[in-house]
Amino acid sequence: MAERAILSNTRVQAALLLGPALVVYVVFAVFPMLDVIWLSFFKWNGLDPVKAYVGTANYVDVFTKDPVFWVAFRNTVIWTALSVAIPPMIGLALALGLNQPIFGRNSLRAIYYLPVIIASIAVATMWRWMYDPFFGLFGQILTSLGLQAWVPDWLGNRDIALYSAFGAYVWQSVGFSMVLFLAGLQGVNKSLVEAARIDGAGRWAVFRYVTLPALRTTLTIVLVLAIISSLKAFDIVYGLTGGGPAQSTQMLALWAFTQSMQIFDFGRGSAISVVLLAVTLAVVIPYMRWSQKREETAE
Amino acid sequence: MTASVETAAAQAGKPPRDWVLISLWISLVVVAAVWIAPFVFIVFTSLKSTAQVMTSSAFAPPTDPQFSNFTAAWARGRFSTTVVNSVIITAVKVPLGLFLSAMAAYALAKIPMRFGKLILVLILFGTMIPFQVMLAPIFTLVNGFGLIDTYPGVILPYLAFGIPYQVFILYGFFRNIPHELSEAARIDGASHFTTFRRVFLPVSLPVLAALFILDFVATWNEFAMALVLLQDREMWTLPLGLSAFQGQFSRDYGQLNAAIVMTVLPAIIVYLIFQRYFVSGLTSGAVKG
Repeated sequence: MAERAILSNTRVQAALLLGPALVVYVVFAVFPMLDVIWLSFFKWNGLDPVKAYVGTANYVDVFTKDPVFWVAFRNTVIWTALSVAIPPMIGLALALGLNQPIFGRNSLRAIYYLPVIIASIAVATMWRWMYDPFFGLFGQILTSLGLQAWVPDWLGNRDIALYSAFGAYVWQSVGFSMVLFLAGLQGVNKSLVEAARIDGAGRWAVFRYVTLPALRTTLTIVLVLAIISSLKAFDIVYGLTGGGPAQSTQMLALWAFTQSMQIFDFGRGSAISVVLLAVTLAVVIPYMRWSQKREETAE
Repeated sequence: MTASVETAAAQAGKPPRDWVLISLWISLVVVAAVWIAPFVFIVFTSLKSTAQVMTSSAFAPPTDPQFSNFTAAWARGRFSTTVVNSVIITAVKVPLGLFLSAMAAYALAKIPMRFGKLILVLILFGTMIPFQVMLAPIFTLVNGFGLIDTYPGVILPYLAFGIPYQVFILYGFFRNIPHELSEAARIDGASHFTTFRRVFLPVSLPVLAALFILDFVATWNEFAMALVLLQDREMWTLPLGLSAFQGQFSRDYGQLNAAIVMTVLPAIIVYLIFQRYFVSGLTSGAVKG
């Protein structure tokens, strides 16, 4: 009977419903995020019971004595800029096309989206084989066009390896932007489009003055998600190049992993993670503010 | 090609042929062909012997399909171990995670709490933070619990990083459920547990189904965290097995591609079966939100 009374208390019920998810989330997601900041001030191999406090030495080392860090930093910036520009643009074009009454659009949509559901590591394995300079798909296509002299060592040439890897990423991520844009296009006011048509607006005018303004929110969401997912690019680079050749495709997330888990310098690895975390937060916090404001004005 | 263009034109708009739509359709089909070409190439290669790979063109269908590539890759890639591990982890993580998220989302949406808003922001924050940033501290934490190379050791972090997005979607959905619906049940004396189970779970089935599919695919494909937390190869999941296979046998082209096909096939099948559900669930949520 006492048990019943306790369970009928609203606060107890709330705690029981909310508690399990909250505890798991705080322990296994929030705590590591704080821990990585803490660890960045220590010298530690990950296993020793003793951690040596070294102040900001790890940051100094990373910024001044680690040339790979700056390569990784540059690559992450390039990768982010490219993934903000290219996949969303293709995704928008495809979504606009699929929004027309055309034959087989469900099948087309399914095809564009298919690479999104494939494991990134499998995408990397597929593309590594397609980039094989001798028997891979791209080499063979160029050869059959009589351009065998032009077949580059896609992943072995340090000038182009990053862009080759990015090609695989485009193939994988376009479908995701497309689906978001398709959803956004559902929200475009159809009677407004009709009215514009009747007033004699051409296709371009309708797109420019009706569709595009209505897609502004979707556009922001797509771009922010593109930035965040490019900052965490890990699997695809790990699987395609492992950061090579000669660290030329190293990325921040992968370099942090390599420092901690392979070189066993948890302090330096954490310092790199903190840099990446700071960059992520610089994008995330304004975005969360923006979406909260949007919600408040909607209410 | 010409014939199909004409059918498309007939479908698209009757007498005045809309040439813009037709050229649009052709370009969409060309892009689709480019998008699907890698799959064709992988499947063809998976059925060729190494000698055939070296002598035949990339798009030549295999003349003498080598199904033995699949059995050989299965054995050398230790698929019988990795498949079992992937199935166990996914089968526990996905339903459990959805259940925990749904309970939390209900509490946040329907029970007034003093710190409700704060907790919500804390959880929303998690939808944006990539765990790839903190693989090392996750390793340290799980190692501290003595859970490296165990199922709980990988399932708990998976849950933690899956919860925010699911709570976020379900919270939005629950909040839009009319007040009368939950109040009617509450006035009848039902506890929040009963209201949640009898009223909210049933009406949110389409959203739950969509989240289920999304989470299934994400969990099945997860690589980076598994790489850090599952070091014993008896505990490896499919993506780890594939990565190791590529490292060891990358010159056995046929077998490598057979391994790729076997790794990605389950996710593709699930996607193709539930596609309609998946897209409708995702888009209905996005339009409302």
